[in-house]
Amino acid sequence: MNEFLTVMVGLILALLALGLVRVLRGPGDADRMMAAQLIGTCGIAALLIIGVIGDISAAIDVALVLALLATFAAAAFAECARRAQQPDTPPETEGP
Amino acid sequence: MTIVPALDLFVAGVVLIVAVWTVVARDSSSAVVGFVAYGLLLALVWVRLGAPDVALTEAAIGSGLTGALLIGAAARLRAGESSTSAEHLGGVGRTLVAALATIVAAAIAVALLSLPDPAPSLAPEAAANAGATGLGNPITNVLMAFRAMDTMLEKFVLVIALVGVWSLAPDGAWGGRPRSYHRADPEGALVFLARVLPPLGVVLGIYVLWVSADHPGGAFQGATILAAMWLVVLMAGLGDVPEVGRQQLRLMLVAGPVVFLIVGLGGLLLGGAFLSYPQDWAKPVILAIEFAMILTVAATLALLVAGPPERSAEP
Repeated sequence: MNEFLTVMVGLILALLALGLVRVLRGPGDADRMMAAQLIGTCGIAALLIIGVIGDISAAIDVALVLALLATFAAAAFAECARRAQQPDTPPETEGP
Repeated sequence: MTIVPALDLFVAGVVLIVAVWTVVARDSSSAVVGFVAYGLLLALVWVRLGAPDVALTEAAIGSGLTGALLIGAAARLRAGESSTSAEHLGGVGRTLVAALATIVAAAIAVALLSLPDPAPSLAPEAAANAGATGLGNPITNVLMAFRAMDTMLEKFVLVIALVGVWSLAPDGAWGGRPRSYHRADPEGALVFLARVLPPLGVVLGIYVLWVSADHPGGAFQGATILAAMWLVVLMAGLGDVPEVGRQQLRLMLVAGPVVFLIVGLGGLLLGGAFLSYPQDWAKPVILAIEFAMILTVAATLALLVAGPPERSAEP
């Protein structure tokens, strides 16, 4: 069973490397961010399987945190991209 | 089995490639994406090395929150990027920088290679005294009991960093709110995410703090998750950043360090040493400190990402 799981980790890591090619080549920032998300998803999958193989229960916690914060990073990226499209209105600084 | 070392080597190679690429990337926003991917991969490496506590910290702080902070910084810098990239270093400058970097790297290498073997370690003593606090996780033991002073000072540093960010505020905006986020499309994906994600995130954040007594976890990691959830709500425009002059917010920001200090001084009065915990009550006291700390750290981290106040306080 563990041999099978190890081979699966290898397969997922190969997919991760494919995502890496997109991160390195771009061309756009959005392509890079999507590829980073793919790397994140692959990393989470590999982490869960490694946790099962090595009987590390904390790997599930790490995977949960990674999943949550990878989503957050994507949201932050999207927010900044949106802000770049519609330039900031000057901050309202009425006198004190 | 030879496949496992091969996979480990493969992951190490991928991490190295991403690290080098992140350093040499010309465009700051591509470098930030590289950094986020690097953090994700590093969490995997730490689990493989048998350090799930470090992996958790890397996942929460390294890739998630620092990533968001850097994305914001890159977006702000983009406007000025064309002017700064024109200022290239000359040949002499480059040689000088390269020589300096080589010297620093060589010094670190010499220091590492001249470490005695086995390296000096307090790990056996820490493990032998683990029963003193009633906590099952050796990392929490070290952070909250044996090296509690460091953890306390770390909280002070966080608050000081926030004061530093706030001091960038223009005079008129002092005590006001950080800049607003654009109102998101109420039917859009971001608003949906901001409604679905925080309930899960709040549970996970408190869970990570709660299990830290006996399993990998911790107040800082939990607080990072809570801060990220608050920021998602702010980004979607479902809430506004509070005025930084507000009293409740200020109280929240000092809660962690103050509780830590009170416990420390109490230890001085009762037990004879700063930050010594009463023998039978060590675990409840540590949990009380951690719950005060999670509030402070979550608020501080979120406000660090939100930036200095830019809108004046309402009269």
